[in-house]
Amino acid sequence: MTTARVLGLAICLASTSAFALEQGEALINGFGTVGVTHLGGEDDGRGYGLSGQTTDSWRGDQLSKFGAQLTYGVTDTVGLTLQTTAKAYADEWKANLEWAYLSWQSTDNLMMRFGRLRTPVYMYSESIDVGFAYPWLRLPDEVYSQVQLSNYEGADLVYNLPLSFATLSFQVAGGVAKNRDYYLYDEEFDIDYDNVFGSSVSLATNDFGTFRVGYVEADIETEIAGSFTDLLGNPGTATLLALDKEKGKFTSIGYQYDNGTWLTANEWTSRVIENDGSASTDSFYLMGGRRFGDFLAHVTYAQLDEDEGRQNSWTLGLNYNVLPTVVLKGEYKRVDTQGGYDGVFVRDAQELYDNTVSDVTGGALGVPARNYDGDIISAGVDFVF
Amino acid sequence: MKQSIRILLTAASLSAAVAAQAEVAVIVNAGAAATPSQSDVANIFLGKNKSLKGVDQKDWNPTKEKFYTSVTKKNEAQLKSYWSGLVFTGKGQPLPSVAGDAEAVAKVAAEADAIGYVDKAAVTDQVKVLFTLP
Repeated sequence: MTTARVLGLAICLASTSAFALEQGEALINGFGTVGVTHLGGEDDGRGYGLSGQTTDSWRGDQLSKFGAQLTYGVTDTVGLTLQTTAKAYADEWKANLEWAYLSWQSTDNLMMRFGRLRTPVYMYSESIDVGFAYPWLRLPDEVYSQVQLSNYEGADLVYNLPLSFATLSFQVAGGVAKNRDYYLYDEEFDIDYDNVFGSSVSLATNDFGTFRVGYVEADIETEIAGSFTDLLGNPGTATLLALDKEKGKFTSIGYQYDNGTWLTANEWTSRVIENDGSASTDSFYLMGGRRFGDFLAHVTYAQLDEDEGRQNSWTLGLNYNVLPTVVLKGEYKRVDTQGGYDGVFVRDAQELYDNTVSDVTGGALGVPARNYDGDIISAGVDFVF
Repeated sequence: MKQSIRILLTAASLSAAVAAQAEVAVIVNAGAAATPSQSDVANIFLGKNKSLKGVDQKDWNPTKEKFYTSVTKKNEAQLKSYWSGLVFTGKGQPLPSVAGDAEAVAKVAAEADAIGYVDKAAVTDQVKVLFTLP
């Protein structure tokens, strides 16, 4: 009955108001990606990616995901937004409630939101699951694998200031995120983020593209432990990372431009976690593309730097708009690392132990690190409705 | 004689070409005081500027194609991609739309702060033309 009413409302939405919906109006929108990806290279049996789902067999769970969003006008200025997604994380399909908030459009330019919100970490954070909204099938992993927190409970405020040549937007966010998953060393760990605070400023010019600067910090609490079998065959456990409310800070600077024919998207990020035993993690990507009718050809260079070494990659992609709401994408990505650094590749605790032993004994014992490089081929379809 | 037939034929084919590539007029209410520039109009129809209420056309017709490609520099797919970036981040909903030129003219004529785009041939004296796209 409710479904029927919502559907009925959605159908008779010929005239909805611009920003907030009118009272009693509802909109249903959906998005999705169906794609496969494959990691090729000299060594077999390796994993790559945010939750290790890119391997040497063709897999659909790294890229494929589905989402649905309901927006409902509680009053003319108060709206309810719910967004659910289905996507695979660490080899397991999960249903997630990504957005669940009440918004209050207090003036034409000021909106406040309360509830579960997406963390405004990266330039594409808030539409991270909507592949249709960006050119790649795989967002540059070097940048987009660093913060695994995708949403938090709290509030934010978005203020838009129209200028003659641009629109200036400010966003301030605050809240908490408890009992979230953190994937590291091919295992999942519990992680808490307290005092999440974020802010961003973006300047969307009429003719010269959009500049964005964002900053997010949180007090992080987690304990990452690894189990392994030592040289004598005895089981061992080691704490690989323990954070007791240590402050994590993430800065992102981005620039996008699209004149209908040429486009570019670029982002530089820096992550610092206090007392995690390492300096900052810095990364960036530079992307340029050109449209030829319904085709888009693009090229991306990405780089990730940590204490242990550097990962860099080149990505070539070709997209084709089958329909205005359906885009077919193909990508080839070449990833290299230097100095035994694993970058976005997966190294489990046993491998880490074996590699460390090999390092310490000059190769006499243990196992030397694998070649962390490879060729990633991806193909898929993004759609919205 | 031959010459004038030729001129007539040329004129006929020219007017046929003009009919196929109709001019698009951006219209506001006859009593409207605001005179937004072309980039203001782009921002209104991209939901960034709310000084006037954009009246969109529902179907992707030649008028809509011409308006969006010349004023916002976006084709249908790029426009869909742009709006999905706003809809799924909770930062905006596409503008309300009406079916066809006659409804757009009627809505702009009825609402003091409305702005729309129609085939120039559909313009009536109840609305004011801001500018035309040749």
